Amino acid sequence: MKRREFVGSLMGGWTGGRLGLGHLTAVRSAPSRAGWFLVPMDDTQSDHLKAYGLTFRVLERGGRAEWFLNYRYGSFLLPADPAVQRDATLAGVSVVPVDEGQVATIRAEITQGNMEAVPLEKAPKVAVYAPPNAAPWDDAVTMALQYAGIAFDKIWDAEVMGERLRTYDWLHLHHEDFTGQYSKFYLTYAGAPWLQEMVDRNQRMARELGFPNVPAAKKAVARSIAGFVERGGFLFAMCTATETLDLALASDGVDIAATFADGTPMDPSAADKLRWEKALAFQGARLELSPAIAVYSEIDGHQVNAADRRQPLGAFSLFNFSAKIDPVPTMLVQCHRQVIPDFYGLSTSFSRATLKPGVTVLADEPGAPWVKYIHGERGQGTWTFLGGHDPEDPQHQVGDAPTDLSTKPHSPGYRLILNNVLFPAAKKKELKT
Amino acid sequence: MTDGRAVQRSGGRLKPPLVFALLTLAPSPLVAQDPAQRALDLERRGDPAGAAALWRSVLAERPTDLSALVGLERVLAPLGRLPEMTDAVRTASARDPSAGVLGIAIRVWTAARQPDSARAIVLRWATAEPASELPYQEWGLAAYGMRDFPTARAAYLLGRERLGRSGALAAELGQLGLLSGDYASAAREWTRAMADNAGSRPAAIGLLSQTPAASRGTLLAELAKGGPLGERLAAGLEVRWGEPLAAVRRLEGTPDALADLLSDLGRAPPQPETALARARVLELLASGAPLPDRARLRFDAAQAYAEAGDQTSTRRILALLARDSTSGSFPTLAAASAMLGVLVEEGGLEEADRRYRALLPQLAQEDRERLALRLAQGWLRQGRLGRADTLLAADSSVEALAVRGKIALYRGDLAAARALLREAGPFTGDRASATHRIGVLGLLQVVDPDSLPALGGALFALERRDSAAAARELERVALSLPPDRGGAELLLLAGQVQQGLGRTADAERLYRAAIAQGVPAGSAAAEFALADLLLKSGKKEPAIAALEHLLLTWPTSAVVPQARRLLDVARGAVPSS
Repeated sequence: MKRREFVGSLMGGWTGGRLGLGHLTAVRSAPSRAGWFLVPMDDTQSDHLKAYGLTFRVLERGGRAEWFLNYRYGSFLLPADPAVQRDATLAGVSVVPVDEGQVATIRAEITQGNMEAVPLEKAPKVAVYAPPNAAPWDDAVTMALQYAGIAFDKIWDAEVMGERLRTYDWLHLHHEDFTGQYSKFYLTYAGAPWLQEMVDRNQRMARELGFPNVPAAKKAVARSIAGFVERGGFLFAMCTATETLDLALASDGVDIAATFADGTPMDPSAADKLRWEKALAFQGARLELSPAIAVYSEIDGHQVNAADRRQPLGAFSLFNFSAKIDPVPTMLVQCHRQVIPDFYGLSTSFSRATLKPGVTVLADEPGAPWVKYIHGERGQGTWTFLGGHDPEDPQHQVGDAPTDLSTKPHSPGYRLILNNVLFPAAKKKELKT
Repeated sequence: MTDGRAVQRSGGRLKPPLVFALLTLAPSPLVAQDPAQRALDLERRGDPAGAAALWRSVLAERPTDLSALVGLERVLAPLGRLPEMTDAVRTASARDPSAGVLGIAIRVWTAARQPDSARAIVLRWATAEPASELPYQEWGLAAYGMRDFPTARAAYLLGRERLGRSGALAAELGQLGLLSGDYASAAREWTRAMADNAGSRPAAIGLLSQTPAASRGTLLAELAKGGPLGERLAAGLEVRWGEPLAAVRRLEGTPDALADLLSDLGRAPPQPETALARARVLELLASGAPLPDRARLRFDAAQAYAEAGDQTSTRRILALLARDSTSGSFPTLAAASAMLGVLVEEGGLEEADRRYRALLPQLAQEDRERLALRLAQGWLRQGRLGRADTLLAADSSVEALAVRGKIALYRGDLAAARALLREAGPFTGDRASATHRIGVLGLLQVVDPDSLPALGGALFALERRDSAAAARELERVALSLPPDRGGAELLLLAGQVQQGLGRTADAERLYRAAIAQGVPAGSAAAEFALADLLLKSGKKEPAIAALEHLLLTWPTSAVVPQARRLLDVARGAVPSS
């Protein structure tokens, strides 16, 4: 389901009046008479992350579910059939059997508060943009999907430049450097085998795709991804993929890559030539000119790899939205914690001054000149950017041991990631008139 | 930008128009600053072209301004445009012969690929400071930065020639040799560097240890030609490369160098070979040392040999130590106790027992109990339960209670074993023995009879490492017990013993038998063990099926968290650790 279809049906439902009865009917038709399972997402939940996978798999099997926004911190209502019972027991997800009367009481509470019941009806087809041999433990989203048990395909430049991207609803960008500068680790990690392998692989792919160098290839990939969003796709990016995607889009025809990447130095006045109207989220940022500093621009508020500019980590707060008027941002911030410890990445946060008008801020650090979590639209689709690398490894370094999510089943930061995976599944049934 | 809390926040913030007004009224900070400050500001803002122009304007007024020269170099270097500074450094170095200006001039001429100009500046600087290595280091480093190894080498050799010292700039040449793959040259230069400055040994080892494995032979051979200093360096490298015994052999004839080697071994990763090498060095040092140092070194050597598992050498050194100790220079008791421990480990219990009894009158109670416990554990391993029990009869320490509990267990006196092990408590001994004791207690809780010699015999066989017999006997006893009164648990234990022996088919059969008994605790644990076994055998799908069956059949079992974790690992949902 593409974003236009989703929003259209959502708003159609809303403008039609109260929703409770209509979407209740929609879900009622699916389960047996055994009743329902409420999957609470407050502190009684034994595994918040796997609860998303449980819900996703109900949709995959053709079942329907509901997302109770702001009710017990974003609970789910699932049919109480044996498959769900089995899946919940295996996954260790807490479920509470509820009968029709209890569901009616919950709906009444939802109707009266800043809450909403959103039907979920189709599991989105998920793709993760990652190099073929990327370690699964190197990317928070991949880890979250694998832990929760949400199926996904891995795609890379060849698939993005072909037609395959059109077959997916949701795309996550592994922390790729779309400026084609290998995360600007080229000088710092010179000689490291993993870097050499990354360089070789990217150069080979650029040649295969017919581009003169890696930065040129990555710009084309970035344009293709922007096209995916324009056509109605859901895009989610973290860490450096956020900032570099926009820099790649804005630098069409401008050399922003260092000599080691494309054989020519960066254009010293590149910043003045950037075409920000092509970018998704950012505008007016100045660029980091040193090829030896793994920083791209002033979009990132924390500048973790610039010793004299690095900002300390604080905590970020999720915003409260009106569940009935703004269900999309409400879905994206469902969490059992309002304040979450911050975590570094190559791009940790986004300077407020560089945000385009119309960007929705989902979370920020109060009082700081940066925000953490943003969302916006492009054409018929949407994009969401979350700064930082790994919510449970605040100072992740190259070569660090991977995060084991079985020890972090309640991670609020990882919940934010999984909100994004599930939100394209949401659709409100239009009221019968 | 829209902000979900914009409405709530607007009251507490300056309104945008007011902010604008304040900004327009404030004087522009850029206008008020001098060009140098403005250049720095532009650098921070990422405008190198603007910064370069400002630094140039400063130099136009003050050609020898060091801050401006450094600033311009800082801006142009990342852009690969350092050669644009040649006019500036020509003017500056003509007027100012200070080291700072000359250093920049050397870097700029080198970047401009004009070695003659760079050399002229180096010689000018060297004339002013004839004893300094700095001009040559500056040139060599700049050339190295350009990956121009021949020029870097020429710079250092020029310095050596002019300074008239064979060790001058040796560390730099050594590093250059290493980076350019000339390991023989690196070996020679680092030996010279150590001769020039003994403190350079750690740096030499740190850098030379990066030599690829294929070239280490060449390097070591060249170092060996460098006399005692080269040999010391080679030994340090051998320790770093995990060949500590080779290092000891290399330095056996040079006692002076052994102290350095001991220090290297102290920093090496702990492993039996390192302990053995350390023991050997201590022994060598002891042989040349006077009393009382000799006794102390021998005692340390004996401990190191014991740590390395070399009981023969431990005994040999302790015997030498006993001879030293007769002079009264070292505590006899410590040596005798150490010898007793060695004898127990070697299985020489009769001799150990004799020595223990001879020592008894001199021993304090604490030492007596400690040695008796060690001796009793030795007897226990040999199956002499009576002698072990006799040794501990008068000892009421928790450690002794734990051993007596085991003795009762092996005799099949389950009632006494329960009482003694419970009394010993969960914290006695090391972690492994405490965990084992609690496991045994858990097993005894579900087995009804107060006396079961067959079970005692099976567990005793296990203690004596006769695992095959233990597994057979455990299975036989298990089948004689009701499933919920120890039957399932003993089948599980028998399966674990079989698995330990590598008999996976037998282990799987026993686990499945325990699962079939349908006892919540024992069967769930057996199914977990089965899944783990299957996963380790590469049978992922059957392992997943077993874990799913476990979780669905016994959802409240104590092994459920482990089972979920293993299921995640089997499915590839979390990294295996």
